[in-house]
Amino acid sequence: MDLAAILAPPKRRTEDLVRAVALSTVFGDRTVLEGIDLAIRRGEVFVVMGPSGCGKTTLLRHLCGLLPPTLGSVSVAGHDVYAASPELLQHLRLRTGLSFQGGALLGSLSVLDNVALPLRENTGLPEHVIVDTARMKLDMVGLLHAADLLPSSLSGGMRKRAAIARAIALDPDIVYFDEPSAGLDPITAAEVDNLIMKLNKVFGITMVVVTHDLPSAHAIADRIVVLLEGRVAALGERDQVWHHPDPRIRDFIERRLSAEDRRGMDVVAHLEV
Amino acid sequence: MRTRRAREGLRRGRILAAAAAERKPGARRVPVKPAAANGRYGRRQASSVSHPTITAAPNLDRATIGSLIADLDRELRARPARVTIDLGAVEAFDSAGIGGVVSGMRRATAAGVELKLRGMSQPMLDFFSLVSVQRLVQPEAKVGRPDPVTRLGRLVEPMLQSARAVFELGTQTAHELLVGPFRGRWLRLDRTAIEVDHCGAGALPIVALIAFLLGLILAMQAYVQLRVWGAEIYIADMVGVSVLSEIGPLMTAIVLAARTGSRNAAQLGSMVVGEEISALEQMGIRPLAFLVAPKVVACAFAAVTLGVVFDVTAIAGGGLFAWAIADITLDAFGAQLRTALRLSELLVAVAKSATFGAVVGVVGCALGLRVRDGSEGVGRATTGSVVLGISLVILVDAVFVTCQRLLD
Repeated sequence: MDLAAILAPPKRRTEDLVRAVALSTVFGDRTVLEGIDLAIRRGEVFVVMGPSGCGKTTLLRHLCGLLPPTLGSVSVAGHDVYAASPELLQHLRLRTGLSFQGGALLGSLSVLDNVALPLRENTGLPEHVIVDTARMKLDMVGLLHAADLLPSSLSGGMRKRAAIARAIALDPDIVYFDEPSAGLDPITAAEVDNLIMKLNKVFGITMVVVTHDLPSAHAIADRIVVLLEGRVAALGERDQVWHHPDPRIRDFIERRLSAEDRRGMDVVAHLEV
Repeated sequence: MRTRRAREGLRRGRILAAAAAERKPGARRVPVKPAAANGRYGRRQASSVSHPTITAAPNLDRATIGSLIADLDRELRARPARVTIDLGAVEAFDSAGIGGVVSGMRRATAAGVELKLRGMSQPMLDFFSLVSVQRLVQPEAKVGRPDPVTRLGRLVEPMLQSARAVFELGTQTAHELLVGPFRGRWLRLDRTAIEVDHCGAGALPIVALIAFLLGLILAMQAYVQLRVWGAEIYIADMVGVSVLSEIGPLMTAIVLAARTGSRNAAQLGSMVVGEEISALEQMGIRPLAFLVAPKVVACAFAAVTLGVVFDVTAIAGGGLFAWAIADITLDAFGAQLRTALRLSELLVAVAKSATFGAVVGVVGCALGLRVRDGSEGVGRATTGSVVLGISLVILVDAVFVTCQRLLD
């Protein structure tokens, strides 16, 4: 089997690249995800939305092969991730980038070395090419000036951008972002959104973005899935989801307190009038 | 929609700029045979004005970039005024391929050679639209090797700062414990109890094991020497005096530094990294009273109790050896011990243990609170707490012994 052929360069947006079938996750006696079915198409920006604690990050960890689900399966380009041979899994990992919520940069390495690390460990390129490739990735995220700094001296937004540079170091086919704009100021958040879109358009990288930032989701998404209480509440093209009739999704999108969550108002029942 | 238009505008602008650069007066075009017709890539092509051209392979990627760089290096060695890389044949490329081209541009710039790119495809222009070649090609500012004095300073300064931090935290803790009660700030006994449970009760098995074996070993060594003069009874003196006045407090302090000093440094360091210390301060809870003082008191208390356990167990080990191998009755061993040991020595040993414990506690906390740079810093603080802890304990021991001898 030719491993390189499995993830051929992106051509169409109709082909499913990642597919999750009947995913369910139980932590202890708490059900986090229940019966998730979804497919991510090659070359699209796929946004996973939902309120905090609805299982977004858990779903992301399932999709990128870090956490086996309790039930169900995840397949990438037709190959079951959690039944794959170690070689295939390694190959899939090298074709996948993940930008963690807090950056997850190695604290002992400079920013440049963090970005160069996957290139040094996984390619046999000459050192100066590795350094220039890493510098190029840093320039893409606007961090070339911070190349020699240690992660501990970066701001949150800079760490996040450095993490994105590291995630795209090996030219992956698919990049997962965990809350790329959380904790960023609106301008930096917009820059990150812009970067995600540019990388998607120029390289055709499939982007899976977990976020609860509504403007960001609307700006970048081709398709959206909304998770509510561990289940898929809506899945489809961006505009379709944005105008979904389900009242719970309307509440979420329009940032209203949902009917059952109007805390404090139930004191009315105890008032003597 | 707007984005696409903007992007196309950008492309067009870049292409026009590139074309303008090509048409610069004086820059003569070098006729190049089409790469495909040539059949081979990467070879230097004949040119009338001695501007060599390197043709990139159709796959400009990780696999082929090495040979392109090698070709370029060969051309650069001849120091031509200008080198051209022909990218016209490139069908597929990856970041490493482009990275290699950028790397070549940087090397050419450094060598004072003008490097031109020709025949760049639209996708490649798109790629370059994400970066600034100007910024990338700029030579990196070389940081020179600092002079020996600076290097020595960089080596010594952290040590001095650590020592200073330990001294400062030590005085602050002493102030908190001695002056605090007069201002209504008592030691947090609940938190102290938790710490004592870890560093005292938790260390009992290892301390008892070391003490017992060390008692046996000391008695054995003494026996070998004393047997020659038939003075086996002095095993009791040897074991008793050495354990009580030196080995007991010292070994306990070393175990404490390894187990608890490192734990305190790692714990407080992680709390600094996770902004927990700042959160405590912001809530009006003083880390000194809430975290440091209980830990230091617990360490001092544990050192004393563990020291007593150590002394008793080690002497028991020595007695067992004397009884089993050297034919000394336990009564005789006990009687000899009573003549050898004085109460003042026991008191000095307790004072020593308490001081050692406090030093280990303060060192761990001080280095932990000094952590600034993430997981790396936590690791450094943990190592430092053990090394500095044990060193300071030995130093304090030397001070104790000197004072004791001067007073005698």
